[in-house]
Amino acid sequence: MVQLKVLLVDDEKEFVTTLAERLELRGMDVDIATDGEMALGLVETDPPQVVVLDVMMPGLGGMEVLERIKAVDSSIQVILLTGHGGTKDGIKGMQLGAFDYLIKPVDIDELIEKLNEAAKNGL
Amino acid sequence: MDKIKSKEIVFFGKITAGITHEIKNVLAIIQESSGLMEDILAITPDETFPRKDKFNISLKRISGQIDRGVDITTRLNKFAHSPDHSPDHVDLNEVSEQMVLLASRFARLKNVAIEADPHDAPMIIHTHPVALEMALFESIEILLNALSSGGKIRLYPRKIQDRYVFGICYEGTIPSRADVSPAVSSSGRWASLQETMAYLGGTAKAFDPGLEILLYFPQSVNT
Repeated sequence: MVQLKVLLVDDEKEFVTTLAERLELRGMDVDIATDGEMALGLVETDPPQVVVLDVMMPGLGGMEVLERIKAVDSSIQVILLTGHGGTKDGIKGMQLGAFDYLIKPVDIDELIEKLNEAAKNGL
Repeated sequence: MDKIKSKEIVFFGKITAGITHEIKNVLAIIQESSGLMEDILAITPDETFPRKDKFNISLKRISGQIDRGVDITTRLNKFAHSPDHSPDHVDLNEVSEQMVLLASRFARLKNVAIEADPHDAPMIIHTHPVALEMALFESIEILLNALSSGGKIRLYPRKIQDRYVFGICYEGTIPSRADVSPAVSSSGRWASLQETMAYLGGTAKAFDPGLEILLYFPQSVNT
């Protein structure tokens, strides 16, 4: 079975590092980025199959990062993590090319299901 | 003065909404950390980890409290956004569920439960969201103050012919009907509720002495 390569992007370092460990325990290859610039750098040098991207980040916001990832490689699938304004941000993101969106905090099983669906979609 | 008051409410809402985002981030980190502990426990043989079951029970409890915290912050965030647009379109069914959470702590102090009983169709009116929530909260407080401990308050928005009605009904032991009615209509809160309802272009009536308050709303408030 091919190992799924995921990039987690969120400015809450404790959140991404812990979530990364949980996904690694489930056999995924996970990179983390704590801001948009760092994420875009990793997309260029070590492209993932799926990016899990927080919408609300200081500096480059999630929507802008999404557009730039899609400009680099449109086959990379992006799942947005939204806050309270979930549906509104999620729909906007999907119009910009996001695969789907999840509302924070996420259920791990739901996230894994969504990651697998996204990876299939990117093939 | 009114303009400053309005700005104060919007400011208060904006700051509260921002803080709820931060609290949600904290909850997300706690959730992932306790989830990671659960993951590690799941792959740890029982014989190498004494009292593993007790750890699992505690982690499930943490998980339940995180869900509760997320629900509270989500509703608080929605409430904090209420002053963003006024007047605005509001679904009375959604507001009934929102009020359950916002008022449940106050009700719990009198051992009273609150439940929403939404209508089976959307109940959308154009009104001032903060004043609407205030009217509902005042109605709940009036019933809590007038009645004895225990029982339940049911919130049920309904459309009766062309009128939008929001019922707040107490279901429990009534001390004495004669005692209840004056307590409702003579309370300072009742006068305040009437004032709020007048601002919303509606009226408030107490029925079946004190057991039930009905709030009548126009489909669209005059601006």
